[in-house]
Amino acid sequence: MFRYIFKKIGYLSLINKHMLQNTKPGKNNNKPISPDLEKNLEVIKGILHSSDLAVHEFNFGHDRRFKGALIFIDNLADKKEIHKNILQPLMYDALLLPMDMDFTQIDTIWKSLISMTDNVKVTLLGDLLDSLLAGAAILLIDGSKEALAIKAGKRDARSIEEPGTEAVVRGPREGFIENVNVNIALLRRKIKDTDLCVEKYVIGEKSKTDVYIVYLRSVANPKLIEEIRTRLNRIKIEAILESGYIEQFIEDSPYSVFPTVSNSEKPDKVAAKILEGRAAILVDGTPFVLVVPMVFIESFQSVEDYYARPFFASAIRIIRFLSYIISTLGPAIYVALTVFHQELIPTQLLISIAEGRERVPFPAILEAFLMLFAFDLLREAGVRLPKPVGQTVGIVGALVLGEASVQAGLISPIMVIVVSATAIASFAVPAQTDSGTILRYIYLALAGIAGGFGVIMGLLATLMHLASLRSFGTPYLWPVSPLNLSGIKDVFIRMPLWTMSKRPKAISRNSSDSCNQDPGLMPAPFKKGSNDSK
Amino acid sequence: MIPNKGSEASLIKKITSSIMIFILCFFMLFALTGCLGAREINDLEIVIGMGVDKDEDTGNILLTAQVVKKDTAGRTSGDASGGGDGKAFWNVSSTGDSIFDAVRQVTHKTGNRLFISHNQAVIFGNDIAQEGLQEYIDFFLRAHEMRPTALILVAEDRASDILDAKPETEKFPAMNIAKLVDTYGFTSHFYEVNMKDFASCLMSPTTAPLVPLVSIVKEKDCMDIYVSGMVAFKKGKMIGKLNHDEVRGLLWVLGKVKSGVLIVPSPDEQGKAVLEIVRVKSKVTPEIKDGSIVMHIKIKEESSLSEQTTAENLATDKAFEKIQEATAEVIRQEIMAAIDKSRELNADIFGFGEMLHKKYSSKWKTLKDNWDEIYPTIELDIDVETKIIKTDLLKKPVSQSEEEK
Repeated sequence: MFRYIFKKIGYLSLINKHMLQNTKPGKNNNKPISPDLEKNLEVIKGILHSSDLAVHEFNFGHDRRFKGALIFIDNLADKKEIHKNILQPLMYDALLLPMDMDFTQIDTIWKSLISMTDNVKVTLLGDLLDSLLAGAAILLIDGSKEALAIKAGKRDARSIEEPGTEAVVRGPREGFIENVNVNIALLRRKIKDTDLCVEKYVIGEKSKTDVYIVYLRSVANPKLIEEIRTRLNRIKIEAILESGYIEQFIEDSPYSVFPTVSNSEKPDKVAAKILEGRAAILVDGTPFVLVVPMVFIESFQSVEDYYARPFFASAIRIIRFLSYIISTLGPAIYVALTVFHQELIPTQLLISIAEGRERVPFPAILEAFLMLFAFDLLREAGVRLPKPVGQTVGIVGALVLGEASVQAGLISPIMVIVVSATAIASFAVPAQTDSGTILRYIYLALAGIAGGFGVIMGLLATLMHLASLRSFGTPYLWPVSPLNLSGIKDVFIRMPLWTMSKRPKAISRNSSDSCNQDPGLMPAPFKKGSNDSK
Repeated sequence: MIPNKGSEASLIKKITSSIMIFILCFFMLFALTGCLGAREINDLEIVIGMGVDKDEDTGNILLTAQVVKKDTAGRTSGDASGGGDGKAFWNVSSTGDSIFDAVRQVTHKTGNRLFISHNQAVIFGNDIAQEGLQEYIDFFLRAHEMRPTALILVAEDRASDILDAKPETEKFPAMNIAKLVDTYGFTSHFYEVNMKDFASCLMSPTTAPLVPLVSIVKEKDCMDIYVSGMVAFKKGKMIGKLNHDEVRGLLWVLGKVKSGVLIVPSPDEQGKAVLEIVRVKSKVTPEIKDGSIVMHIKIKEESSLSEQTTAENLATDKAFEKIQEATAEVIRQEIMAAIDKSRELNADIFGFGEMLHKKYSSKWKTLKDNWDEIYPTIELDIDVETKIIKTDLLKKPVSQSEEEK
């Protein structure tokens, strides 16, 4: 039934694609640049009807015999830079050069006058426009078939702050920002290795967004990198506005509620994953960096697990597993128990539940749906509203939905406890909050229809689905299934760092000696007479 | 295969309609929920205790079910002002030709079905017990909601009176009974018997099952439940009563004594030494010698000196030896009391028959048929070994030391 509907939906998207192709404008920007400056300017002005297009025409050189024009987008370019490093050298410094120098050769100007880096020579009108829109200043010289694109863009960047979604108690407080160049720099500062590879892609016909793959050449599986390249190259889309766009076009199972591409705002987290052999995909304009492949267990690991000592880290990880179970199954188990399996509830508890439910006019399943709906509503409203108003929503929600609804006899007090426990638990595993929310409703519906049997069936279906998932070739349930003993050290508990000397086998390049540290690093006090210390 | 523009609209329509049908089917599922055994807590009458009596007028079964009153049950007794008499339970009764009939007849009064999964105890009235439990117990074992671990008890008089008791600390008399029986280990004056135990004893051709006997003790304005001993059954019918000491005599043999108090005279005969039983091991070996049956009962008991009423220092080897001897004698007397009672009733409450069956399975076939004649002739060889292992916090009694006098 689902497959049938998915097929139909797939068909729909096919039609949309077809329509999109029909409406696409013809590309006529592959013309070469003409040697005639006037003509070029006319063409460019003809294509860009914008009032923020700045065209500065000037004569330069001895006797001012050369004609040139500098084109840039007013709002993107840094005018001070342009003035100081492009116009000033051309107008004045050119006079210091020999009289017979031929300034119709772009190369001559580039090599002897322009005091800026990051310049590109362009010969095609299309490339010229692309550079122009990316913030470059274009230098056109009359009589030259080439133009020089000089990167003189300015870019407002937010300062590096602690990421809002991934706060830590112990660990670096820096987070990625919207500027991808800064983000790459943040990663480079963590991994100062010649192996760190940065590959650039430009995706989006209109947005022309910079997308970078960052990985360690000696550690990452070459097949993985090749796969990412193929999937990125497939994307033909108008605009990439956030890394979520990329995620949805490259993920393995688009119809799964479980994410198969992880994301993070923290450079230390991404660096750690790159060091394991994963590849990061950085997208300009968003602080969220994608990392592939993703395994399910990753959702339960936090960077802090590795900064804290193993005992506390392991305890917290077990709590995270429990909280995921509570957040997905809490209301379902409550409904299954109170509606189908009252004999499983201890007698005293059953009496308390019965007393609480005495005045409630709804069936337990409806009660649970109402409360969960109210919770999700409050959460959504709290996120969207400005902060001061958001607090009001919280107070109103707590008072009205918690206190008043119980006193009015609409909801039983135990249901409030169950739903609040669920709500709190759902935030303990941020990576699976989305999937957990969907599953919670599905399990609840199953519990309402068939009780414990329904919940078990739902769990089985989920398990089968999880076991069938792959993320860029890695089984989603690795290292639990298929079982990997060295990988399982970091699943339910976090073993001490000095025991985890091997990189994850399923992810990194397949060599048996893939170690990230010397074995036998267990700390021990210095012993007198021992020669090991030498 | 991309359809041309004309059919696109119709295709989208087709797809949306199929999705709509799916969504409709999905939500219709919820309408079917009632069919699969769902029952809201509001629609249940939670039964925590049941009493079975004989209706005096008609001779039918009079079933009393103790049902939790949901509006007052959760509240503390102080603020139960809104709920009528403030009782947390409701003893609803009905008559019927059979137990199941009566259970269903109750719905005329409750409006809801009785939910008996949480039934703690089934109490049979004295008249029913004398008539025989065989025909009444079937429902309690057969009903799928009923737990085999529910306690079985016999009331000294009428079962409904027991359920009407007003215990001081517990809100529900049935819960109080369950608690009383559950903590038998402090005295070992009776023991816990549930439906499953009772049924398996009923199936044995020789063993006589015992069931705790409860009665009501009226003191001022409170009516407390009291476990006064146990009653023995033979072939499903109640035949007699065992008092506290007799039951403990039985438990010594079975090795089921958990703890309890033993009082023996102190060696100087000035007062008493009070011992608490710590550990008991027992072994019963049947033997058939020259046609007569001998049961060798070997009991090893360890106790602690928990109280003494004399000024003499009992923590000496000499005193210990004397006390241990006296203890063994007390235990032997208790066992003999149980055996005398069982001979008097001619009921194999110890399960000697089953023990013989296990060891002498071939001879058992001949013994089985006239067990009633054989049982009183069984000889006993009792060997009790006792030991005091500690004296708790005091070593010497609180008195003036003799040396300082």
